[in-house]
Amino acid sequence: MSAVLRLLSRRLGISLIVLVGVSMLIFGIARVIPGDPARIALGPNATEEQVANLREALHLDDPVVVQYGHFVADLLRGDLGVSLYTNRPVTLDIAQFLPATLELVLFAGVLMVGIGLPLGMWSARYRGRWPDHLIRVVSLLGVSAPSFVWAVILMLLFAFFLPIFPIAGRITDSFEITRVTGFLLIDTLLARNGAAFFDALWHIFLPAFALAVSGIGQAARLTRANMVETYDRPYVEMAQAYGFSARRIAAKYAFKPSLIPSLTIIGLDFAAMLGNAFLVEAVFAWPGLSRYGVAVILRKDLNAIIGTVLIISATFLIVNLIVDLLIAFLNPRIRHSERGAS
Amino acid sequence: MSEVLAIRDLFLRFRGYSGVSEVLHGISLDIRAGERVALVGESGSGKSVTARIVLGLLQELPSAQVEGGLFFEGEDLNGLSRRQWQALRGTSISMIFQDPTSSLNPVFTIGTQFAEVLRRRDPKLSREAADERASTLLQSVSIHDHARVLGAYPFQLSGGMNQRVVIAMALANHPSLLIADEPGTALDVTVQAQTLKLMHELVEQSGTAVFFISHNLGVVREFADRVFVIYRGRIVEQGPTPAIFENPGHAYTRALMAAVPRITGGGLPDLNDSEAAFLEPMVVHEGGDA
Amino acid sequence: MRRTVIILRRNPLSLLGAVLVAAVVLSAVLADYIAPFPEHRGSVVDFVYFNQGPTARNLMGTDLVGRDLFSRILYAFRISLILGVVVLAIAPPIGTLVGLFAGYLGGRTEFVLMRLTDVFLSIPPLVLAIAMMGVLEPTLMNAMLAVTAMWWPWYARLVYNIARSEREEGYVLAAEVIGASTLHITLREILPNCLPAIITKMTLDMGFVIIIASSLSFLGLGVQPPTPDLGSMVAEGARYLPDSWWLTVFPGLAILIAVFGFNLIGDALREILGADQ
Repeated sequence: MSAVLRLLSRRLGISLIVLVGVSMLIFGIARVIPGDPARIALGPNATEEQVANLREALHLDDPVVVQYGHFVADLLRGDLGVSLYTNRPVTLDIAQFLPATLELVLFAGVLMVGIGLPLGMWSARYRGRWPDHLIRVVSLLGVSAPSFVWAVILMLLFAFFLPIFPIAGRITDSFEITRVTGFLLIDTLLARNGAAFFDALWHIFLPAFALAVSGIGQAARLTRANMVETYDRPYVEMAQAYGFSARRIAAKYAFKPSLIPSLTIIGLDFAAMLGNAFLVEAVFAWPGLSRYGVAVILRKDLNAIIGTVLIISATFLIVNLIVDLLIAFLNPRIRHSERGAS
Repeated sequence: MSEVLAIRDLFLRFRGYSGVSEVLHGISLDIRAGERVALVGESGSGKSVTARIVLGLLQELPSAQVEGGLFFEGEDLNGLSRRQWQALRGTSISMIFQDPTSSLNPVFTIGTQFAEVLRRRDPKLSREAADERASTLLQSVSIHDHARVLGAYPFQLSGGMNQRVVIAMALANHPSLLIADEPGTALDVTVQAQTLKLMHELVEQSGTAVFFISHNLGVVREFADRVFVIYRGRIVEQGPTPAIFENPGHAYTRALMAAVPRITGGGLPDLNDSEAAFLEPMVVHEGGDA
Repeated sequence: MRRTVIILRRNPLSLLGAVLVAAVVLSAVLADYIAPFPEHRGSVVDFVYFNQGPTARNLMGTDLVGRDLFSRILYAFRISLILGVVVLAIAPPIGTLVGLFAGYLGGRTEFVLMRLTDVFLSIPPLVLAIAMMGVLEPTLMNAMLAVTAMWWPWYARLVYNIARSEREEGYVLAAEVIGASTLHITLREILPNCLPAIITKMTLDMGFVIIIASSLSFLGLGVQPPTPDLGSMVAEGARYLPDSWWLTVFPGLAILIAVFGFNLIGDALREILGADQ
């Protein structure tokens, strides 16, 4: 077990270095903004004095390095500054909008793994035959359009043409759910309101599926490729020679070894969904962080932009960390190595 | 006539992009109960595909055409459904592959894989019972720290250790036929010799017939009762081991033997490919045959 | 060559890919001659035919100011392809150089370059481009810049992994022994071994660049109107669902067709070059 702990601490260290790098990068990008952020924030009617005061308050007159120092010092106190768009602390805005996005992305992640992996497994088991050809074409189609196109098409088909799913929002307004975690699927359960839970489920399904389509295709393609390679290994031939059923070989003996190399990429696809949530939230009017992000970007709201990107990157790093741990758990070579993984 | 395995006039063709290519041109071969029979030839001669045909594995490839008689313990294998054929594998017929370490699944423990093999005969076997049986079987291949081995992954064990594990697995369900496809070629020579000796003793005790596929004449001479020499998809010579080694009748067999004196037995050298004499008709040594 | 023919014959889908890509490229190049209403690429208003579904006159209908959607989609392919080609002309060389030096030189160079790459890679792809477009003016040039900035690290990672393993190969050691320069070893010895993987990735990436670029303009952060762009066309039409469905469906399908074509070719190429990564 200590090998896993060593791996965890090393990855944690690297993640922290990377996070510092991300903050510098984002801070750098935000500071090349053309025009005076204070002027943009206050609007054309503000006096020169008001602008100067705001510049002072935002440390905009200091050298960039000093500005970054202030930023990090504030960040360590959990302060991301005030959003010029909502006039609220950025951390509050993020706390309000992040759960909706995370819920959407996590649900989409479940769909990606729950549909993509079995499709890939099936495809590999019937490689060269028609189920394989069909799944390959479908999954390639899945990765061949941005998620906003899938969102629009799915909405047209299953919300307008066949009105099975709602068009927008997270839950029917008549439900009043006390906010505990911000995850409606959890909060409705905490409130022991079954009807509200299924209503939320009903609302999240279509946007999450639209978000997941590319990921499903990607996961299926990857799983298939890795499993086809595994099928050529002697240990699969041995399993066949010992009469293990094709289903059991596909689901266990060929699947587990090929899952390990797939997982890293699946983690990256999950990250891609964090970005693509921007597109799907726009189509389904999903009140999440991405809609907030686009709003603050269009208003050049520096603090909010930095905060949003930083929190999304941190989420991404956490996901990667979890994926690394999962791989370490699945791969006995890492779990039992003396020096940890390289 | 208690033949465990009989192959009659077996053809194998592959449909490829450049047309059909014939790999086996009608080979016949038989193995009696408890007998050790070797099929000897260079790589590409068709000996490994023969083993896979006996197990019914090759027939599942859409591109392979298999024709000819296949009889196992008197039963016509060609009439079997996929499921029936699968039922034979791992129970009545088992197989040992070239490289023991890579033929064990890298992400499951030896114990898990052993239990899976034992459940081929006894599907309801509990894990505890399986471990217990596996321990006994491991002891029979001189593995005494069986608890550690059962909990280990293949990469944590030496090649020789994995080879013993694989032998124990192959004999676990008391098969009447064991196919050994160049066993231990990936191991170093002394380990290979040890494990072959072990296998020899075990099959002798249990009366298991062995279909031994090899390119190593030294090993064959030591191990086999009878030998079939295969060259480019045709059997060119067959007979009892002593008869073939003392009096090789076919030009190809003689070329093989002339090339072999290297003691390491690291395999056959490349013979001059296209000697016309190699295509002469089959030489059959009588004796040990009735 | 023989293998190529065999793979193409076995996989008729790659042929479909070639046909789709050829159609898209030809539409983009010959838009001036094919488009029924070439002038509709700009800000034209025609209130006689505004917001109409597909007819014989307007195969894919007209938009809210009466412009022919089919014509605009042809011109939009032009923007997508230009963006894709430019990004793939700039990002891979940058990433390749970074990866080559990091992988071959190792040590401190490796640490700095690869941590830098990691930083870029740990901002989810679209988010980095969105953030950059947030502070830059939304123009075609800047969209290219933003997409390039998020794209090079993938090539750096890819080439780095190959270069690191090639570093120990005999031919590299031999070149070192005879005193070849670092530049010679990386560019003349190691680079050729990375090329199949790079080329395969570039073909597969063409589709993804089109996806990312259209996503930016979908959010209003890319090419600005009246220049026709598939992403912004979908965004505009999405407000008029379901009644004016053609406003979103046709531009959406146009993206799907173009990207699907490139992906089919990329898949075939990956099989032919055998760089299955």
